[in-house]
Amino acid sequence: MSRALLRAGGAGAVLVLGVGLTACGSSAAEEVDITEKTLGAMDSYSVGDQFTATEALSFPVLYSEHPNYPIKDDWLFWQELTERTNVTLEPTIVPMSDYEQKRSLLVGAGDAPVLLPKTYPGQETPFVSSGAVLPVSEYLDLMPNFTDKVERWGLEDNLDTLRQEDGDFYVLPGLHENPWQDYTIAVREDIMAELGLEAPSDWDEFRDVLRAVKAAYPDMYPLSDRFNVPTPGGNFLNIVAMTFGTSAGWGYDDATFDAASGEFEYTGATDEQRDFIEYVASLVDEGLIDPESFTQDDDTAIQKFTTGRSFAISTNAQTIVNDYRPTLDTNVPDAEVGKIPLPAGPAGDVISGATQLENGIMISSAATEREDFVAMMQFVDWLWYSDAGLEFAKWGVEGTTFTKDADGKRVLADDIDFIGLNPGAPKHLQKDFGFSNGVFAYGGPTELLQSTFSDEELEFQDAMAEKESLPLAPPYPFSEGEREQATLLETPLKDYTSQMTLQFILGQRDLGEWDAYLTELEGKGASTYVDLVNGAADRFAEANG
Amino acid sequence: MKDSRGYRVFQIVNGAVLLGVVFVTLYPFLNIIAQSFSGETFIRAGQVNLVPLGFNTTTYQLVMGDDTFWRSYGNTVLYTIVATAIAMLLTTTYAYVISKRGIRGRGLLIGIAVFTMFFNGGLIPNYVLISSLGLTNSIWAIVLPNAISVFNLLVMKAFFENLPSELEEAAQIDGLSTYGILLRIVLPLSKAVIATMVLFYAVTFWNSWFQAFLYLNQQELFPVTIYLRNLIAGASTASSLGSGGGDLAQVASNVKAVTMVLTVLPILCVYPFIQRYFVSGVMLGSVKG
Repeated sequence: MSRALLRAGGAGAVLVLGVGLTACGSSAAEEVDITEKTLGAMDSYSVGDQFTATEALSFPVLYSEHPNYPIKDDWLFWQELTERTNVTLEPTIVPMSDYEQKRSLLVGAGDAPVLLPKTYPGQETPFVSSGAVLPVSEYLDLMPNFTDKVERWGLEDNLDTLRQEDGDFYVLPGLHENPWQDYTIAVREDIMAELGLEAPSDWDEFRDVLRAVKAAYPDMYPLSDRFNVPTPGGNFLNIVAMTFGTSAGWGYDDATFDAASGEFEYTGATDEQRDFIEYVASLVDEGLIDPESFTQDDDTAIQKFTTGRSFAISTNAQTIVNDYRPTLDTNVPDAEVGKIPLPAGPAGDVISGATQLENGIMISSAATEREDFVAMMQFVDWLWYSDAGLEFAKWGVEGTTFTKDADGKRVLADDIDFIGLNPGAPKHLQKDFGFSNGVFAYGGPTELLQSTFSDEELEFQDAMAEKESLPLAPPYPFSEGEREQATLLETPLKDYTSQMTLQFILGQRDLGEWDAYLTELEGKGASTYVDLVNGAADRFAEANG
Repeated sequence: MKDSRGYRVFQIVNGAVLLGVVFVTLYPFLNIIAQSFSGETFIRAGQVNLVPLGFNTTTYQLVMGDDTFWRSYGNTVLYTIVATAIAMLLTTTYAYVISKRGIRGRGLLIGIAVFTMFFNGGLIPNYVLISSLGLTNSIWAIVLPNAISVFNLLVMKAFFENLPSELEEAAQIDGLSTYGILLRIVLPLSKAVIATMVLFYAVTFWNSWFQAFLYLNQQELFPVTIYLRNLIAGASTASSLGSGGGDLAQVASNVKAVTMVLTVLPILCVYPFIQRYFVSGVMLGSVKG
């Protein structure tokens, strides 16, 4: 996923190159003495402590401006944050639409604020070799809450996936207590009920459901999907492939780890990939998927679904409430729409384990020159990783924006609206108070994550919680030379695989030509790439035990 | 004289084709206007074409009640006016100088300008330059770097070169200084090209967002284009990346439509007023053979 995200930011690629050229030549592994950098730091700060700087401090932070809640100076968030921590944040405001590009520019120009939030795992890689960002893993002793959560939630393996060739990681990711699957398929539940169908538990049953719908409603597309930009079949191929033990769609990764042999294989050439393609091709072949399903834009797919012309569509918790339900209610009055639990596949009843890491914070390496470096790390630890900080960022101030009932359940104040909790209320938790802001509030304990979920979503999440999470592949951080070579191979391979996957699925190419396809992959350097990956993985395993 | 049959057929076909082009060009715009007056559910269902469905003006009231929108709007107006004024001053004077064939160093001056058409320092060096000059987070970062568009400069130069030199010679004999000639003779005769340049510059500055994106870090300085871009591109970026955490940007399509209409409206209104200057033959009759 993270790699897909990185590549999706293609616009930033030129900039990223520039970073390597212009940033100063300080080595990433340089030792920095921080014993003197304790201005404003607390002498003893540990889990459960409220961080309060011993003197007033301010930290520059890069801020992603969300179109739905434009930043305001008078947000309670800023005031209360300063009151609690004695820290003022100085935001450099960047429109969310081009956040990545501006971040690359500022880092490249040596002008970046010290705190660089909303950095998705993988996006930090281009900055590592220039020494412009801090190897945060070396300073974890300053971050008791972070280390505590990693330990209690067993996230060491997840963190390993972030490590670079030198064994350090350069981004502090958001941490989730449990894997979290949001995306699945939404179906017309009224039609399911009418035809006496049960929610499918695996993909074969899913196919049976689509068949039954097709038989009863021959004019309807059983599945007509969205999320085709930038990757065709982004979500659908991703979730199907995941449960077939491979990857595709927006989760596609060129290398797949085969636990049996202990080696990486080229994803597009695995037997699992072939099984997965055969399955999806069978859906297309039987006319269960709209032929435009993998190419149409979101709006077209939504229109088909909300006017009753299709039965199923990809969804997450928000799109079902925002995109489908209101329009469907107007057009097809009796329609009911709901999420189905993610079906199981040949790889078992599984979800990805990689979802325990969220986007997080990169720190500019100039930070170690600040007199208040230690206090800054403590502050970051408190706001983004302590239970109190996480609750504050998401829900606000107890007694003002929310109250807790006897069971500890949080209740939003009556006059405040947030994702449909108090529709029509005069104020908004994000717009008027600055809480639940995507820059500061994410991750955390499952209880906190689910505290704003609707009952229907909670039910879905309970079903998801029973699934096993897939094991994580071992890390394979490339050296600089290897990365260059890998990048040259990666993109053409990925494009070709994705193109051929679609051709096989849509029946434009016969699956009988699978062997010819394997030879073609070979010609594009699939095994060279896999050798690079395996080499890097072995080297990393040796160096880091 | 009666038009020939073939000519009449040609006129009909011509008219039909051009009407088709007009329709295709106008359609997206009319569609956005219709959307801006429609209900959200109708837009989602793809039913809105040229006529608004579920007619309402609440979205207009909503967007127009947004301080951020108006502040950005004000910034855009300010940036456009100041930038166009500076650009016109610099472009006109530069073009006038390099249009004089006899002047020493003319080749160098043209060379310097044309060089920047083909080469530039790149993004990061430009940013470092602007930031070292202390221009970031100020209006000057927007209005200065692109003050001279070389293309416009060359168009103007060509126009000045075509002015009859006899006019200037006559003015010189009557005792006008170089500046007098420029201000009293050349500029009044150049209304056509000046109007065109004002329009080119104004439209460019009105629509530009990249400079502001690069050099401005405070929301109260953003022009409306940044606001609009964030509204539209921000929404699709987040969802296409499958970002989690309940931070998907869901902006209603009617809000987008209203913002687009309000943003293009002023610049659209400028066209009819400037259009009358797009006429040839300003020079006819000024020099008697």
